[in-house]
Amino acid sequence: MLTIRMAWRNIFRQKRRTILTVLSMFGGFALSAISIGWADGTYNRIIEMFTRNRLGHIQIHAQGYLDKPSLYKKIDDYEAIGEKLESLNGVESWTPRLYAAGLVSVGEKSSGARIVGIDPRREGAAINFEKKVIEGKAFSQEPSGEAILGKDLATSLEAEIADELVIVSQAADGSIANDLYIVTGIIESGNAVDDRTSLFLHLEDAQKLFVLEGSIHEIVVIANKLDQVSQLTDKIQATLSDDDLEVLPWQEFARSFYTAMQADKQGAWIMLFIVILIVAIGVLNTVLMTVLERTREYGVLRAMGTRPYQVFRLVICEVTIMAIIGIIIGFGLSLPINYILSQHGIAMPETFTYGGIEFTHYYSEINAHSYYIPALTVLLSATIVSLFPAVKAARIAPARAMRTH
Amino acid sequence: MHRPEPCEHIDKKTTMLIFLKLAVRNLFRNKRRTFIAGSAIGLGLAALIFSDALIIGMERNMIASATESFLGEGQIHHQGFRESQAVEKTVNNEADLIGRLERHPAVDHYAPRIMAFAMITSPANMASVSMVGIEPELERHLSQIDEAIIEGEYFAEDEMRNIVIGRKLAELLEVNLGSRVVLTTSQAHSGDLAQEMFRVSGIFKFNIRQMDRGMVFVQLPRAQRMLALEDQVHEIALSFTDKNFARIEKNEFWKDFSTDGNEAVSWTVLLPEVVMAFEYSDFFTYIIGLILFGVVALGIVNTLFMSLHERMFEFGVLRAVGTRPWAMGRLVLFEAAALAGLSIILGIILGFLVTLIVAGTGIDYTGIEFSGVTFRELLYPVMELQQFIEYPLAVFIFTMLVSLYPAVFAVKISPAKAMRRSF
Amino acid sequence: MSFKNLIISISVMLATVSGMEAGAAEKIDVDSILHQIDELYRSQSSYSEVEMEIITPHWERTMTLEFWTRGMEKTFIRVLKPKKDEGMATLRLGNEMWNYLPKTNKVIKIPPSMMMSSWMGSDFTNDDLVKEFTLFEDFDYELVEETDTGIIFINCIPHEEVPVVWGNIVIAVREEGYLPVWQKYYDEEGNLARIMTYRDVRAFDDRTIPSVMEMVPKTKEGHKTIIRYLELEFNLEVPEDIFSLRNLRSGN
Repeated sequence: MLTIRMAWRNIFRQKRRTILTVLSMFGGFALSAISIGWADGTYNRIIEMFTRNRLGHIQIHAQGYLDKPSLYKKIDDYEAIGEKLESLNGVESWTPRLYAAGLVSVGEKSSGARIVGIDPRREGAAINFEKKVIEGKAFSQEPSGEAILGKDLATSLEAEIADELVIVSQAADGSIANDLYIVTGIIESGNAVDDRTSLFLHLEDAQKLFVLEGSIHEIVVIANKLDQVSQLTDKIQATLSDDDLEVLPWQEFARSFYTAMQADKQGAWIMLFIVILIVAIGVLNTVLMTVLERTREYGVLRAMGTRPYQVFRLVICEVTIMAIIGIIIGFGLSLPINYILSQHGIAMPETFTYGGIEFTHYYSEINAHSYYIPALTVLLSATIVSLFPAVKAARIAPARAMRTH
Repeated sequence: MHRPEPCEHIDKKTTMLIFLKLAVRNLFRNKRRTFIAGSAIGLGLAALIFSDALIIGMERNMIASATESFLGEGQIHHQGFRESQAVEKTVNNEADLIGRLERHPAVDHYAPRIMAFAMITSPANMASVSMVGIEPELERHLSQIDEAIIEGEYFAEDEMRNIVIGRKLAELLEVNLGSRVVLTTSQAHSGDLAQEMFRVSGIFKFNIRQMDRGMVFVQLPRAQRMLALEDQVHEIALSFTDKNFARIEKNEFWKDFSTDGNEAVSWTVLLPEVVMAFEYSDFFTYIIGLILFGVVALGIVNTLFMSLHERMFEFGVLRAVGTRPWAMGRLVLFEAAALAGLSIILGIILGFLVTLIVAGTGIDYTGIEFSGVTFRELLYPVMELQQFIEYPLAVFIFTMLVSLYPAVFAVKISPAKAMRRSF
Repeated sequence: MSFKNLIISISVMLATVSGMEAGAAEKIDVDSILHQIDELYRSQSSYSEVEMEIITPHWERTMTLEFWTRGMEKTFIRVLKPKKDEGMATLRLGNEMWNYLPKTNKVIKIPPSMMMSSWMGSDFTNDDLVKEFTLFEDFDYELVEETDTGIIFINCIPHEEVPVVWGNIVIAVREEGYLPVWQKYYDEEGNLARIMTYRDVRAFDDRTIPSVMEMVPKTKEGHKTIIRYLELEFNLEVPEDIFSLRNLRSGN
């Protein structure tokens, strides 16, 4: 269309002016894209680390277990459930767990403890169990009477590697569960309470001890991608279709962590909002100036016979084209930067280790809304802002227009 | 032609002033543009001020939530008590220590405590809890137990059999005010079991799971008696007059009071997760701050170039008339300075107002738990003088730096070319 | 039911027997009954073989145990049946308790934190074996009524500072022979928290007493503990070395 061609040519006629306007557009775009990518990246990283490395993305229990845990609220046919899970797209891995309480004694010292039965192969694949072992070693594949203690529990029991350990508790059939184990490892999970109370056994050892052969209390599922967790939860629920089981995503079984992340994210979003606001104003600024400067030019056009609405269209067109160019350039600029930031991140001034996970870098993330939000911002602010002077330019009496400046 | 040059007999200062006035007037020739550009910069500054205030407010709220409910800003224990929780490890030289605390100018309040593992029974149920013996009147000024009471009273009168428990525990035990409960604990040194009967005199709700379910408060002397620990305590909690005092880890205070086999630590040691969370978000906001500066910089450059552009003809004339190149640059710089100055004033006013308003209403974060700390109060942004000095200064310097580019450009203008521009 | 109460119950039976011998056909002197209980309790030593049946919503189990007691301070218990648990033993001296587990050949001292948890899975707690209170000194008691059915009801209210959680305990005693019928434990709001019932009167040694005690907690669904006395001897000479850690392992 003529308007577009004219707009296009107009833009390139005034190189410097155009450049300045587009500069504020793509600069603003790129900076807000980077900020959003940064914010999302940082938070999702934390969530990913916590869920993937400790809690799991999704947990399956017997109905009512989370509310009131009990040795008797168990899942019986878990291998079959596991098979079904593996057939689902989106499930990366799963691991079974058994929970019980008991008295643990090493030498003269004894203490109450929470006993967790895990499947070494699956747990290692899913939750990186081996990485958290700070002394000794992780479990052998076959059940061999090995026990791994939380580090503070080990301290209070004065237990060391190769020490003999007794567990006494009540089994599921009412009998007194008791047996001997060897301390083969010490673990640091990052959670102080866990470290003070937890003792890990090979799942089969634990099942034998508590007379719960073939049963477990919890299945932890790791999803391929964090953002698919909700859908995956529904899929699992549908596939298993068992009323006696409850399938929960991390947002529910780790509710307090979730709300804390949300709260913090909100805080970050307030900041981002400010950034976006500034970007919008910057665009406003330049567009307004651009258009207003050219009142004389538009007056000439009107004097030559251009209709008001054509002038209006011209102005809007120019601004929109500039905005689009700005967005494209901005995109081209921010994408590689975001990519680098997401792969390599920025090294933290001081690294710290928490829960066996080492935090060394901040990472950004590439996702849809770090692009469409800035794009919308630039586009909207540009076009809305240009409406006012466009109308004005359209309406102005040619003579007066040419007299300005 | 007569060259407009600064006269030798007029001193530097007046010259500066003249140029400044010129710059300001130039700015106001195009009020609209100046206003728009000024607002952009001003808003950027206001944003920086507000965000800073918000972050400080958030940190302060977190610290308060973590320390004011019960922990205190610092604690003194027997060396090794924190790790083992052994009943025998009581604070050494307690009387002496308290005397020193009372005299220390930085210490606002202190509260001695007994802490021991105990079992609590009711007719319906039993639970394991942490028995905390407190001095109600001292504790009142330090922690918020008295404020968290939702039913009954906070240790009115000197009734030794009063026990104050959390709402969740009360539910578990199926007890109410006035109910009879028994606490069982193991005495120091002998390990003998001691049992005492108590009556629930108050129920509290902190919204912190561990406390509502796991802590019970009794009178200090009664706890001491149960544990066979006459006149001894396990912990002295502290609060300071300056809320930032405890954050300074190099502080002499901690060393001074870690004598005689005791250990004095600040909350930063007790709650490393909170410190970690701070550092994490500090860095995050640092990056965002940089980005904000970037956006503001763009605005400045743009404005200056725009104005340059528009007045190209004028500049051409100036040069043709004999103005030295560097004087052109100086013109731009002065205008930038004037713009910066005005915007900064705008930004300060705006920042002040917004922060003030939000500080009045607060942001609701109550009940959210983060890094092991539950927010209990509204979040208020905190204004600090340095925000109004550091940030404006940074923006000013930044603006000046950024304006060098257009200034250099102005210096290089060739008169003929400039005057050929028709706009 | 409190283990102590188990012992008290034995004592009550003894007291009533002695009371009978002293010509208790006259006006019921509650004071001296309870007084006697406490006194007898204090100087008691005993041996018994007991069958304990535990019923829970998830499982049921029956164990056969032998008990030795001396005074208030010393108790030794050994498991005879089932085979799986044979040889398990518990020693209590004063406030301390140890368990012996033959399977692992270990003696474990029970830490204070575990004292309130269930003993051997029953409705008894470890702490029940250790608790001390006396009906006579620590309670105010009153005769509630004498009915035509020949049963005396005594209401016992604990003194304010006694470390018990009950609001009151009502004891039903058969007038004839002063054999206990039941004990009901109430909280202070008057809600029934547990009932202990006595039945199946039999002759042991030279006494005639209820041989079965059934404890039903009212706050937990589907739980019950039943104690049946198979053998019972009083005031015998109990060798001191029974109450030793060494004895825990000897499994005789």
